[in-house]
Amino acid sequence: MKFINTIVVQTGRNLQKTWPSQFMTLLTVSLSVLIFSFFFLIYTNMINTGEKLGDDLRLTIYLEEEPVLEMQAQLVKKITNFSPVEEIRFTSRQEAYDSLAKQLGENVDVLDDLDPSFLPPSIEVYPKKNLSTLAEIKKFSEYLTTLPGAIKVQYGQEWVERFNYFTKLLRAIVILSGILLIMTTTFMVAYTIRLAVLARQAELEILRLLGATNNYIRTPFLIEGFLQGVFGSSLGLLALYFLYRWIKLNFTGPGILQLVNFTFFTPAIMAIIIFASVVLCIGGSFSSMRKFMRI
Amino acid sequence: MDTKPTDTPIIEIVRATKIYSPDVVALENVSLSIPYGEMLFLTGMSGAGKTTLLKLICGIEHPDKGLVEVAGKDLDRIKNKEIPRLRQQIGMAYQDFKLLADRTVAQNIGMAMEVAYQNLKTIKKRVIELLQKLRLEHKHDALAGRLSRGEQQRVAVARAVANSPALILADEPTGNLDSKSTKLVMDLFRECNKRGTTVIIATHDESIFKDTDHRVLELQSGRLLQQDDRTISALNNMP
Ligand SMILES: Nc1ncnc2c1ncn2[C@@H]1O[C@H](COP(=O)(O)OP(=O)(O)OP(=O)(O)O)[C@@H](O)[C@H]1O
Ligand SMILES: [Mg+2]
Repeated sequence: MKFINTIVVQTGRNLQKTWPSQFMTLLTVSLSVLIFSFFFLIYTNMINTGEKLGDDLRLTIYLEEEPVLEMQAQLVKKITNFSPVEEIRFTSRQEAYDSLAKQLGENVDVLDDLDPSFLPPSIEVYPKKNLSTLAEIKKFSEYLTTLPGAIKVQYGQEWVERFNYFTKLLRAIVILSGILLIMTTTFMVAYTIRLAVLARQAELEILRLLGATNNYIRTPFLIEGFLQGVFGSSLGLLALYFLYRWIKLNFTGPGILQLVNFTFFTPAIMAIIIFASVVLCIGGSFSSMRKFMRI
Repeated sequence: MDTKPTDTPIIEIVRATKIYSPDVVALENVSLSIPYGEMLFLTGMSGAGKTTLLKLICGIEHPDKGLVEVAGKDLDRIKNKEIPRLRQQIGMAYQDFKLLADRTVAQNIGMAMEVAYQNLKTIKKRVIELLQKLRLEHKHDALAGRLSRGEQQRVAVARAVANSPALILADEPTGNLDSKSTKLVMDLFRECNKRGTTVIIATHDESIFKDTDHRVLELQSGRLLQQDDRTISALNNMP
Protein backbone atom coordinates (compact mmCIF):
# COMPACT_ATOMS: atom_id res chain seq x y z
CA MET A 1 0.00 0.00 0.00
CA LYS A 2 2.77 2.40 0.97
CA PHE A 3 4.61 1.35 -2.15
CA ILE A 4 1.60 2.04 -4.34
CA ASN A 5 0.97 5.42 -2.72
CA THR A 6 4.52 6.54 -3.17
CA ILE A 7 4.65 5.33 -6.75
CA VAL A 8 1.38 7.04 -7.66
CA VAL A 9 2.60 10.34 -6.24
CA GLN A 10 5.87 9.91 -8.09
CA THR A 11 4.13 9.15 -11.38
CA GLY A 12 1.81 12.12 -10.97
CA ARG A 13 4.84 14.37 -10.53
CA ASN A 14 6.49 12.96 -13.63
CA LEU A 15 3.41 13.52 -15.74
CA GLN A 16 3.08 17.04 -14.44
CA LYS A 17 6.62 17.77 -15.51
CA THR A 18 6.65 16.17 -18.93
CA TRP A 19 3.01 16.31 -20.02
CA PRO A 20 3.56 18.08 -23.37
CA SER A 21 5.74 15.30 -24.71
CA GLN A 22 3.57 12.69 -23.02
CA PHE A 23 0.54 14.17 -24.74
CA MET A 24 2.23 14.10 -28.13
CA THR A 25 3.08 10.46 -27.62
CA LEU A 26 -0.46 9.70 -26.59
CA LEU A 27 -1.70 11.25 -29.83
CA THR A 28 0.85 9.35 -31.88
CA VAL A 29 -0.12 6.09 -30.25
CA SER A 30 -3.80 6.71 -30.83
CA LEU A 31 -3.23 7.76 -34.42
CA SER A 32 -1.22 4.60 -35.12
CA VAL A 33 -3.90 2.48 -33.49
CA LEU A 34 -6.54 4.31 -35.50
CA ILE A 35 -4.76 3.72 -38.81
CA PHE A 36 -4.08 0.10 -38.07
CA SER A 37 -7.49 -0.76 -36.71
CA PHE A 38 -9.21 1.10 -39.57
CA PHE A 39 -7.65 -1.22 -42.15
CA PHE A 40 -8.05 -4.16 -39.87
CA LEU A 41 -11.74 -3.41 -39.45
CA ILE A 42 -12.25 -3.26 -43.21
CA TYR A 43 -10.28 -6.44 -43.61
CA THR A 44 -12.30 -8.41 -41.06
CA ASN A 45 -15.50 -7.18 -42.66
CA MET A 46 -14.24 -8.25 -46.07
CA ILE A 47 -13.46 -11.69 -44.75
CA ASN A 48 -16.93 -11.93 -43.25
CA THR A 49 -18.54 -10.88 -46.48
CA GLY A 50 -16.37 -13.27 -48.43
CA GLU A 51 -17.56 -16.10 -46.23
CA LYS A 52 -21.15 -15.09 -46.69
CA LEU A 53 -20.77 -14.85 -50.45
CA GLY A 54 -19.05 -18.20 -50.40
CA ASP A 55 -22.18 -19.58 -48.78
CA ASP A 56 -24.25 -18.96 -51.88
CA LEU A 57 -21.56 -19.76 -54.37
CA ARG A 58 -22.79 -21.96 -57.17
CA LEU A 59 -21.44 -23.15 -60.46
CA THR A 60 -23.72 -23.28 -63.44
CA ILE A 61 -22.95 -25.76 -66.24
CA TYR A 62 -24.68 -25.02 -69.54
CA LEU A 63 -25.40 -28.10 -71.59
CA GLU A 64 -25.87 -28.74 -75.30
CA GLU A 65 -28.72 -31.17 -74.86
CA GLU A 66 -31.20 -31.86 -72.18
CA PRO A 67 -29.89 -34.94 -70.41
CA VAL A 68 -32.15 -37.91 -70.09
CA LEU A 69 -32.65 -39.33 -66.62
CA GLU A 70 -30.02 -41.96 -67.04
CA MET A 71 -27.58 -39.35 -68.21
CA GLN A 72 -28.46 -37.15 -65.24
CA ALA A 73 -27.56 -39.91 -62.83
CA GLN A 74 -24.26 -40.35 -64.61
CA LEU A 75 -23.49 -36.66 -64.45
CA VAL A 76 -24.27 -36.53 -60.74
CA LYS A 77 -21.94 -39.44 -60.20
CA LYS A 78 -19.16 -37.76 -62.15
CA ILE A 79 -19.54 -34.49 -60.31
CA THR A 80 -19.63 -36.02 -56.84
CA ASN A 81 -16.68 -38.16 -57.73
CA PHE A 82 -14.57 -35.07 -58.08
CA SER A 83 -15.81 -33.25 -55.02
CA PRO A 84 -18.68 -33.74 -52.60
CA VAL A 85 -21.41 -31.17 -53.15
CA GLU A 86 -24.27 -29.72 -51.19
CA GLU A 87 -26.81 -29.95 -53.96
CA ILE A 88 -27.15 -30.50 -57.71
CA ARG A 89 -30.12 -29.15 -59.58
CA PHE A 90 -31.07 -29.72 -63.19
CA THR A 91 -32.83 -27.01 -65.14
CA SER A 92 -34.56 -27.87 -68.38
CA ARG A 93 -35.03 -25.46 -71.30
CA GLN A 94 -38.62 -24.96 -70.26
CA GLU A 95 -37.73 -24.26 -66.63
CA ALA A 96 -35.09 -21.76 -67.70
CA TYR A 97 -37.63 -20.05 -69.92
CA ASP A 98 -40.23 -19.96 -67.18
CA SER A 99 -37.90 -18.51 -64.64
CA LEU A 100 -36.79 -15.81 -67.09
CA ALA A 101 -40.41 -15.01 -67.84
CA LYS A 102 -41.08 -14.73 -64.15
CA GLN A 103 -38.15 -12.37 -63.70
CA LEU A 104 -39.35 -10.16 -66.52
CA GLY A 105 -42.78 -9.85 -64.95
CA GLU A 106 -44.81 -7.28 -66.87
CA ASN A 107 -42.29 -7.13 -69.67
CA VAL A 108 -42.84 -10.76 -70.48
CA ASP A 109 -44.04 -9.86 -73.97
CA VAL A 110 -40.46 -9.40 -75.20
CA LEU A 111 -40.30 -13.16 -75.17
CA ASP A 112 -43.31 -13.52 -77.43
CA ASP A 113 -41.37 -13.84 -80.65
CA LEU A 114 -38.86 -16.26 -79.19
CA ASP A 115 -38.82 -19.99 -79.22
CA PRO A 116 -39.26 -21.19 -75.63
CA SER A 117 -36.32 -23.46 -76.23
CA PHE A 118 -33.77 -20.75 -76.96
CA LEU A 119 -32.23 -21.01 -73.49
CA PRO A 120 -29.84 -23.87 -72.89
CA PRO A 121 -30.53 -26.44 -70.22
CA SER A 122 -28.19 -26.28 -67.25
CA ILE A 123 -26.98 -27.89 -64.07
CA GLU A 124 -26.51 -25.86 -60.93
CA VAL A 125 -23.90 -27.18 -58.57
CA TYR A 126 -23.75 -25.90 -54.98
CA PRO A 127 -20.34 -26.92 -53.70
CA LYS A 128 -19.66 -27.78 -50.09
CA LYS A 129 -17.97 -25.01 -48.10
CA ASN A 130 -14.63 -26.76 -48.19
CA LEU A 131 -14.03 -25.23 -51.61
CA SER A 132 -12.96 -21.99 -50.06
CA THR A 133 -10.05 -20.87 -52.14
CA LEU A 134 -10.28 -19.42 -55.58
CA ALA A 135 -7.85 -21.98 -56.92
CA GLU A 136 -10.04 -24.83 -55.78
CA ILE A 137 -13.12 -23.34 -57.33
CA LYS A 138 -11.20 -22.80 -60.57
CA LYS A 139 -10.07 -26.39 -60.62
CA PHE A 140 -13.57 -27.61 -59.99
CA SER A 141 -14.96 -25.45 -62.76
CA GLU A 142 -12.30 -26.68 -65.16
CA TYR A 143 -13.27 -30.22 -64.34
CA LEU A 144 -16.91 -29.45 -64.89
CA THR A 145 -16.17 -28.14 -68.41
CA THR A 146 -14.91 -31.58 -69.35
CA LEU A 147 -18.24 -33.21 -68.56
CA PRO A 148 -19.93 -34.66 -71.64
CA GLY A 149 -22.25 -32.15 -73.26
CA ALA A 150 -21.02 -29.14 -71.24
CA ILE A 151 -20.69 -25.91 -73.20
CA LYS A 152 -19.64 -23.47 -70.50
CA VAL A 153 -19.26 -23.18 -66.75
CA GLN A 154 -20.05 -19.97 -64.91
CA TYR A 155 -19.50 -18.96 -61.32
CA GLY A 156 -18.93 -15.21 -61.47
CA GLN A 157 -15.20 -15.71 -62.07
CA GLU A 158 -14.44 -12.07 -62.57
CA TRP A 159 -16.13 -11.00 -59.41
CA VAL A 160 -14.59 -13.69 -57.25
CA GLU A 161 -11.16 -12.96 -58.64
CA ARG A 162 -11.47 -9.27 -58.03
CA PHE A 163 -12.69 -9.86 -54.51
CA ASN A 164 -9.83 -12.18 -53.90
CA TYR A 165 -7.29 -9.72 -55.17
CA PHE A 166 -8.73 -6.96 -53.04
CA THR A 167 -8.63 -9.12 -49.94
CA LYS A 168 -4.98 -9.87 -50.59
CA LEU A 169 -4.18 -6.21 -51.06
CA LEU A 170 -5.98 -5.34 -47.87
CA ARG A 171 -4.13 -8.00 -45.98
CA ALA A 172 -0.85 -6.45 -47.09
CA ILE A 173 -2.06 -3.03 -45.96
CA VAL A 174 -3.11 -4.42 -42.59
CA ILE A 175 0.29 -6.01 -42.11
CA LEU A 176 2.07 -2.82 -43.16
CA SER A 177 0.02 -0.63 -40.88
CA GLY A 178 0.59 -3.17 -38.11
CA ILE A 179 4.33 -2.80 -38.55
CA LEU A 180 3.90 0.96 -38.60
CA LEU A 181 1.93 0.72 -35.39
CA ILE A 182 4.61 -1.33 -33.71
CA MET A 183 7.41 0.97 -34.81
CA THR A 184 5.80 4.32 -34.06
CA THR A 185 4.44 3.15 -30.75
CA THR A 186 7.63 1.67 -29.38
CA PHE A 187 9.83 4.41 -30.78
CA MET A 188 7.66 7.26 -29.64
CA VAL A 189 7.22 5.82 -26.17
CA ALA A 190 10.91 5.04 -25.92
CA TYR A 191 11.64 8.59 -27.03
CA THR A 192 9.36 10.30 -24.51
CA ILE A 193 10.58 8.10 -21.71
CA ARG A 194 14.09 9.02 -22.72
CA LEU A 195 13.17 12.71 -22.52
CA ALA A 196 11.57 12.10 -19.15
CA VAL A 197 14.64 10.28 -17.90
CA LEU A 198 16.94 13.05 -19.10
CA ALA A 199 14.68 15.72 -17.61
CA ARG A 200 14.92 13.96 -14.29
CA GLN A 201 18.60 13.09 -14.44
CA ALA A 202 19.54 15.25 -11.45
CA GLU A 203 16.66 13.92 -9.45
CA LEU A 204 17.40 10.31 -10.29
CA GLU A 205 20.99 10.83 -9.20
CA ILE A 206 19.88 12.13 -5.82
CA LEU A 207 17.24 9.43 -5.47
CA ARG A 208 19.92 6.84 -5.96
CA LEU A 209 22.09 8.48 -3.31
CA LEU A 210 19.17 8.43 -0.92
CA GLY A 211 18.78 4.70 -1.45
CA ALA A 212 15.97 4.44 -3.98
CA THR A 213 15.62 0.92 -5.31
CA ASN A 214 15.53 0.18 -9.01
CA ASN A 215 11.85 -0.57 -8.70
CA TYR A 216 11.21 2.78 -7.10
CA ILE A 217 12.90 4.53 -9.99
CA ARG A 218 11.60 2.28 -12.74
CA THR A 219 7.97 1.75 -11.83
CA PRO A 220 6.75 5.30 -12.53
CA PHE A 221 8.19 5.11 -16.05
CA LEU A 222 6.60 1.74 -16.64
CA ILE A 223 3.29 3.10 -15.40
CA GLU A 224 3.66 5.97 -17.84
CA GLY A 225 4.19 3.47 -20.64
CA PHE A 226 1.18 1.52 -19.44
CA LEU A 227 -1.01 4.62 -19.38
CA GLN A 228 0.20 5.61 -22.84
CA GLY A 229 -0.80 2.18 -24.10
CA VAL A 230 -4.20 2.08 -22.45
CA PHE A 231 -5.31 5.61 -23.20
CA GLY A 232 -3.62 5.84 -26.59
CA SER A 233 -5.22 2.69 -27.94
CA SER A 234 -8.60 3.41 -26.34
CA LEU A 235 -8.59 6.85 -27.88
CA GLY A 236 -7.68 5.40 -31.27
CA LEU A 237 -10.46 2.81 -31.07
CA LEU A 238 -12.93 5.43 -29.92
CA ALA A 239 -12.05 7.61 -32.90
CA LEU A 240 -12.46 4.59 -35.16
CA TYR A 241 -15.84 3.88 -33.65
CA PHE A 242 -17.04 7.37 -34.44
CA LEU A 243 -15.67 7.04 -37.95
CA TYR A 244 -17.50 3.75 -38.27
CA ARG A 245 -20.76 5.27 -37.07
CA TRP A 246 -20.37 8.13 -39.50
CA ILE A 247 -19.72 5.81 -42.43
CA LYS A 248 -22.69 3.64 -41.49
CA LEU A 249 -24.97 6.65 -41.23
CA ASN A 250 -23.87 8.28 -44.46
CA PHE A 251 -23.19 5.40 -46.77
CA THR A 252 -25.88 2.87 -46.06
CA GLY A 253 -27.94 3.40 -49.14
CA PRO A 254 -28.20 0.97 -51.99
CA GLY A 255 -24.81 -0.34 -52.96
CA ILE A 256 -22.01 -2.40 -51.63
CA LEU A 257 -22.37 -1.42 -48.00
CA GLN A 258 -25.84 -2.85 -47.91
CA LEU A 259 -24.60 -6.10 -49.27
CA VAL A 260 -21.78 -6.04 -46.75
CA ASN A 261 -23.04 -6.16 -43.23
CA PHE A 262 -20.55 -3.65 -41.86
CA THR A 263 -19.87 -4.45 -38.19
CA PHE A 264 -17.49 -3.11 -35.53
CA PHE A 265 -14.88 -5.13 -33.63
CA THR A 266 -16.04 -7.54 -31.00
CA PRO A 267 -15.02 -6.65 -27.43
CA ALA A 268 -12.50 -9.48 -27.50
CA ILE A 269 -10.70 -8.01 -30.51
CA MET A 270 -10.72 -4.55 -28.95
CA ALA A 271 -9.25 -6.03 -25.78
CA ILE A 272 -6.52 -7.67 -27.83
CA ILE A 273 -5.68 -4.42 -29.61
CA ILE A 274 -5.50 -2.53 -26.32
CA PHE A 275 -3.47 -5.28 -24.69
CA ALA A 276 -1.01 -5.38 -27.59
CA SER A 277 -0.58 -1.59 -27.44
CA VAL A 278 0.07 -1.75 -23.71
CA VAL A 279 2.70 -4.43 -24.22
CA LEU A 280 4.35 -2.35 -26.95
CA CYS A 281 4.36 0.80 -24.83
CA ILE A 282 5.76 -0.90 -21.76
CA GLY A 283 8.36 -2.54 -23.96
CA GLY A 284 9.36 0.85 -25.38
CA SER A 285 9.58 2.36 -21.95
CA PHE A 286 11.63 -0.55 -20.68
CA SER A 287 14.14 -0.49 -23.50
CA SER A 288 14.59 3.25 -23.05
CA MET A 289 15.28 2.87 -19.36
CA ARG A 290 17.80 0.15 -19.90
CA LYS A 291 19.72 2.45 -22.19
CA PHE A 292 19.58 5.62 -20.15
CA MET A 293 19.44 4.57 -16.56
CA ARG A 294 22.25 2.13 -16.01
CA ILE A 295 19.82 -0.14 -14.25
CA MET B 1 21.94 -2.68 10.36
CA ASP B 2 18.73 -3.42 12.18
CA THR B 3 20.47 -5.46 14.80
CA LYS B 4 23.27 -3.83 16.71
CA PRO B 5 25.82 -6.36 17.74
CA THR B 6 27.96 -4.70 20.33
CA ASP B 7 31.11 -6.52 19.38
CA THR B 8 31.35 -5.51 15.70
CA PRO B 9 31.76 -1.83 14.90
CA ILE B 10 29.36 -0.10 12.53
CA ILE B 11 32.30 1.14 10.51
CA GLU B 12 35.57 -0.67 10.00
CA ILE B 13 38.12 0.81 7.66
CA VAL B 14 41.41 -1.00 7.17
CA ARG B 15 44.32 0.65 5.40
CA ALA B 16 42.15 2.37 2.85
CA THR B 17 43.81 4.33 0.09
CA LYS B 18 41.95 6.46 -2.40
CA ILE B 19 43.64 7.89 -5.44
CA TYR B 20 41.71 10.13 -7.79
CA SER B 21 42.90 9.85 -11.34
CA PRO B 22 45.48 10.61 -12.39
CA ASP B 23 47.53 10.90 -9.20
CA VAL B 24 45.70 12.78 -6.44
CA VAL B 25 46.16 10.79 -3.28
CA ALA B 26 43.08 11.81 -1.32
CA LEU B 27 43.42 9.16 1.38
CA GLU B 28 46.40 7.07 2.28
CA ASN B 29 46.43 4.01 4.52
CA VAL B 30 43.53 5.16 6.63
CA SER B 31 42.42 2.71 9.31
CA LEU B 32 39.47 3.50 11.49
CA SER B 33 37.01 1.65 13.63
CA ILE B 34 33.78 3.24 14.84
CA PRO B 35 31.49 1.39 17.24
CA TYR B 36 27.71 1.64 17.08
CA GLY B 37 26.31 4.75 18.71
CA GLU B 38 29.45 6.84 18.67
CA MET B 39 29.51 10.52 17.83
CA LEU B 40 32.73 11.54 16.20
CA PHE B 41 34.32 14.61 14.66
CA LEU B 42 36.51 14.47 11.61
CA THR B 43 38.64 17.51 11.06
CA GLY B 44 41.50 18.66 8.92
CA MET B 45 42.46 21.33 6.47
CA SER B 46 40.64 21.89 3.26
CA GLY B 47 41.64 19.16 0.85
CA ALA B 48 42.71 16.82 3.63
CA GLY B 49 40.29 14.15 2.49
CA LYS B 50 37.31 14.50 4.86
CA THR B 51 34.67 14.38 2.15
CA THR B 52 36.47 11.53 0.45
CA LEU B 53 36.41 9.50 3.64
CA LEU B 54 32.68 10.05 4.09
CA LYS B 55 32.11 9.07 0.47
CA LEU B 56 33.96 5.82 1.03
CA ILE B 57 31.74 5.11 4.01
CA CYS B 58 28.51 5.60 2.11
CA GLY B 59 29.80 3.75 -0.92
CA ILE B 60 29.79 6.60 -3.44
CA GLU B 61 33.51 6.14 -3.90
CA HIS B 62 35.50 2.96 -3.58
CA PRO B 63 38.98 2.60 -2.10
CA ASP B 64 41.80 1.67 -4.47
CA LYS B 65 43.41 -0.30 -1.69
CA GLY B 66 42.16 -1.50 1.64
CA LEU B 67 38.79 -2.40 3.03
CA VAL B 68 35.67 -0.49 4.02
CA GLU B 69 33.03 -2.33 6.00
CA VAL B 70 29.76 -0.82 7.08
CA ALA B 71 27.52 -2.81 9.40
CA GLY B 72 29.71 -5.82 8.76
CA LYS B 73 29.38 -5.58 5.00
CA ASP B 74 32.33 -5.15 2.70
CA LEU B 75 31.24 -2.31 0.41
CA ASP B 76 33.37 -3.64 -2.42
CA ARG B 77 31.66 -7.00 -2.39
CA ILE B 78 28.13 -5.93 -1.58
CA LYS B 79 25.52 -6.94 -4.10
CA ASN B 80 24.00 -4.21 -6.22
CA LYS B 81 20.62 -5.10 -4.81
CA GLU B 82 21.72 -4.41 -1.25
CA ILE B 83 23.09 -0.94 -1.91
CA PRO B 84 19.73 0.88 -1.75
CA ARG B 85 18.88 -0.73 1.60
CA LEU B 86 22.23 0.28 2.98
CA ARG B 87 21.92 3.85 1.73
CA GLN B 88 18.49 4.18 3.27
CA GLN B 89 20.19 3.48 6.58
CA ILE B 90 22.85 6.14 6.01
CA GLY B 91 21.82 9.78 6.14
CA MET B 92 24.41 11.95 4.45
CA ALA B 93 24.30 15.74 4.55
CA TYR B 94 26.42 16.65 1.54
CA GLN B 95 28.82 19.53 1.57
CA ASP B 96 27.22 20.78 -1.64
CA PHE B 97 23.75 19.93 -0.25
CA LYS B 98 22.54 18.10 -3.38
CA LEU B 99 19.04 19.52 -3.06
CA LEU B 100 16.56 19.70 -5.92
CA ALA B 101 16.23 23.40 -6.63
CA ASP B 102 12.79 23.13 -8.22
CA ARG B 103 11.21 21.18 -5.38
CA THR B 104 9.89 22.57 -2.16
CA VAL B 105 11.74 22.24 1.10
CA ALA B 106 9.18 19.72 2.33
CA GLN B 107 9.53 17.61 -0.84
CA ASN B 108 13.31 17.64 -0.58
CA ILE B 109 13.27 16.42 2.98
CA GLY B 110 10.46 13.95 2.29
CA MET B 111 12.39 12.29 -0.53
CA ALA B 112 14.66 10.50 1.90
CA MET B 113 11.62 8.88 3.49
CA GLU B 114 9.74 8.29 0.26
CA VAL B 115 12.46 6.08 -1.15
CA ALA B 116 12.03 3.94 1.96
CA TYR B 117 8.29 3.77 1.21
CA GLN B 118 7.27 5.57 4.37
CA ASN B 119 3.67 6.45 4.59
CA LEU B 120 2.75 9.93 3.43
CA LYS B 121 1.28 10.99 6.78
CA THR B 122 4.38 9.91 8.65
CA ILE B 123 6.50 11.86 6.17
CA LYS B 124 4.43 15.01 6.59
CA LYS B 125 4.64 14.85 10.36
CA ARG B 126 8.34 14.18 10.40
CA VAL B 127 9.08 17.01 7.95
CA ILE B 128 7.18 19.53 10.06
CA GLU B 129 8.86 18.31 13.22
CA LEU B 130 12.33 18.68 11.68
CA LEU B 131 11.60 22.09 10.21
CA GLN B 132 10.48 23.29 13.63
CA LYS B 133 13.65 22.01 15.22
CA LEU B 134 15.74 23.88 12.66
CA ARG B 135 13.56 27.03 12.74
CA LEU B 136 12.53 26.65 9.10
CA GLU B 137 8.80 26.07 9.51
CA HIS B 138 8.01 29.14 7.42
CA LYS B 139 9.98 27.71 4.50
CA HIS B 140 7.95 24.50 4.30
CA ASP B 141 6.63 25.28 0.82
CA ALA B 142 9.47 27.44 -0.47
CA LEU B 143 11.47 26.14 -3.42
CA ALA B 144 14.83 24.88 -2.26
CA GLY B 145 16.59 26.86 -5.00
CA ARG B 146 15.31 30.14 -3.55
CA LEU B 147 16.73 29.59 -0.09
CA SER B 148 19.84 31.20 1.34
CA ARG B 149 22.91 29.00 1.67
CA GLY B 150 22.41 28.66 5.40
CA GLU B 151 18.80 27.64 4.94
CA GLN B 152 19.75 25.13 2.26
CA GLN B 153 22.32 23.71 4.59
CA ARG B 154 19.74 23.11 7.28
CA VAL B 155 17.41 21.49 4.75
CA ALA B 156 20.27 19.16 3.76
CA VAL B 157 20.74 18.27 7.42
CA ALA B 158 17.03 17.69 7.87
CA ARG B 159 16.96 15.36 4.87
CA ALA B 160 19.92 13.42 6.25
CA VAL B 161 18.23 12.70 9.57
CA ALA B 162 14.63 12.44 8.26
CA ASN B 163 14.48 8.68 7.78
CA SER B 164 16.03 8.11 11.22
CA PRO B 165 19.02 6.30 9.73
CA ALA B 166 21.39 4.23 11.83
CA LEU B 167 24.32 6.28 10.60
CA ILE B 168 24.50 10.00 9.95
CA LEU B 169 27.35 11.46 7.92
CA ALA B 170 27.44 15.25 8.02
CA ASP B 171 29.89 16.97 5.72
CA GLU B 172 30.61 20.47 6.95
CA PRO B 173 27.04 20.85 8.28
CA THR B 174 27.61 24.24 9.84
CA GLY B 175 29.82 25.86 7.23
CA ASN B 176 27.27 28.49 6.30
CA LEU B 177 25.58 28.94 9.66
CA ASP B 178 25.60 31.57 12.36
CA SER B 179 26.23 30.42 15.92
CA LYS B 180 22.51 30.16 16.78
CA SER B 181 21.69 27.99 13.78
CA THR B 182 24.84 25.98 14.41
CA LYS B 183 23.53 25.18 17.87
CA LEU B 184 20.18 24.04 16.43
CA VAL B 185 21.92 21.68 14.04
CA MET B 186 24.28 20.33 16.67
CA ASP B 187 21.42 19.84 19.12
CA LEU B 188 19.62 17.80 16.47
CA PHE B 189 22.66 15.62 15.91
CA ARG B 190 23.14 15.15 19.65
CA GLU B 191 19.52 14.16 20.00
CA CYS B 192 19.90 11.56 17.23
CA ASN B 193 23.07 10.28 18.86
CA LYS B 194 21.31 9.94 22.24
CA ARG B 195 18.79 7.67 20.53
CA GLY B 196 21.65 5.42 19.46
CA THR B 197 22.46 6.79 16.02
CA THR B 198 26.10 6.84 15.02
CA VAL B 199 27.01 10.38 13.93
CA ILE B 200 30.13 11.42 12.04
CA ILE B 201 30.66 15.11 11.49
CA ALA B 202 33.34 16.36 9.13
CA THR B 203 34.16 19.94 9.90
CA HIS B 204 36.85 22.55 10.31
CA ASP B 205 34.64 24.60 12.58
CA GLU B 206 36.57 24.18 15.82
CA SER B 207 33.85 25.80 17.88
CA ILE B 208 31.61 22.75 17.56
CA PHE B 209 34.12 20.25 18.92
CA LYS B 210 36.20 22.47 21.17
CA ASP B 211 34.79 21.24 24.49
CA THR B 212 33.51 17.91 23.38
CA ASP B 213 34.02 14.58 25.11
CA HIS B 214 33.67 12.81 21.76
CA ARG B 215 36.50 11.55 19.64
CA VAL B 216 38.02 14.09 17.28
CA LEU B 217 40.06 12.66 14.41
CA GLU B 218 42.25 14.74 12.19
CA LEU B 219 43.15 14.12 8.60
CA GLN B 220 46.27 15.64 7.13
CA SER B 221 46.89 15.28 3.41
CA GLY B 222 44.98 12.05 3.35
CA ARG B 223 46.54 10.53 6.44
CA LEU B 224 44.73 10.01 9.69
CA LEU B 225 46.74 11.47 12.57
CA GLN B 226 46.98 9.56 15.80
CA GLN B 227 45.74 11.26 18.93
CA ASP B 228 49.31 12.22 19.87
CA ASP B 229 50.09 13.59 16.44
CA ARG B 230 47.06 15.76 16.77
CA THR B 231 48.46 17.49 19.80
CA ILE B 232 51.74 18.03 18.02
CA SER B 233 50.03 19.47 14.99
CA ALA B 234 48.05 21.75 17.28
CA LEU B 235 51.28 22.90 18.88
CA ASN B 236 52.82 23.51 15.49
CA ASN B 237 49.95 25.68 14.51
CA MET B 238 50.38 27.89 17.52
CA PRO B 239 51.92 31.28 16.91
N1 LIG C 1 36.48 13.81 -7.99
C1 LIG C 1 37.75 14.19 -7.74
N2 LIG C 1 38.67 14.10 -8.72
C2 LIG C 1 39.95 14.44 -8.47
N3 LIG C 1 40.37 14.88 -7.31
C3 LIG C 1 39.50 15.00 -6.29
C4 LIG C 1 38.14 14.65 -6.46
N4 LIG C 1 37.51 14.85 -5.29
C5 LIG C 1 38.43 15.31 -4.44
N5 LIG C 1 39.62 15.40 -5.03
C6 LIG C 1 40.85 15.79 -4.39
O1 LIG C 1 41.06 14.97 -3.27
C7 LIG C 1 41.56 15.71 -2.18
C8 LIG C 1 40.64 15.52 -0.97
O2 LIG C 1 39.39 16.13 -1.25
P1 LIG C 1 38.22 16.20 -0.20
O3 LIG C 1 37.04 16.73 -0.90
O4 LIG C 1 38.09 14.88 0.43
O5 LIG C 1 38.76 17.24 0.83
P2 LIG C 1 38.04 17.85 2.10
O6 LIG C 1 38.83 17.49 3.27
O7 LIG C 1 36.62 17.48 2.09
O8 LIG C 1 38.17 19.40 1.82
P3 LIG C 1 37.17 20.58 2.21
O9 LIG C 1 37.36 20.87 3.63
O10 LIG C 1 37.61 21.72 1.35
O11 LIG C 1 35.82 20.11 1.86
C9 LIG C 1 41.66 17.13 -2.66
O12 LIG C 1 42.99 17.39 -3.02
C10 LIG C 1 40.77 17.19 -3.86
O13 LIG C 1 41.25 18.11 -4.79
MG1 LIG D 1 34.88 18.38 1.89
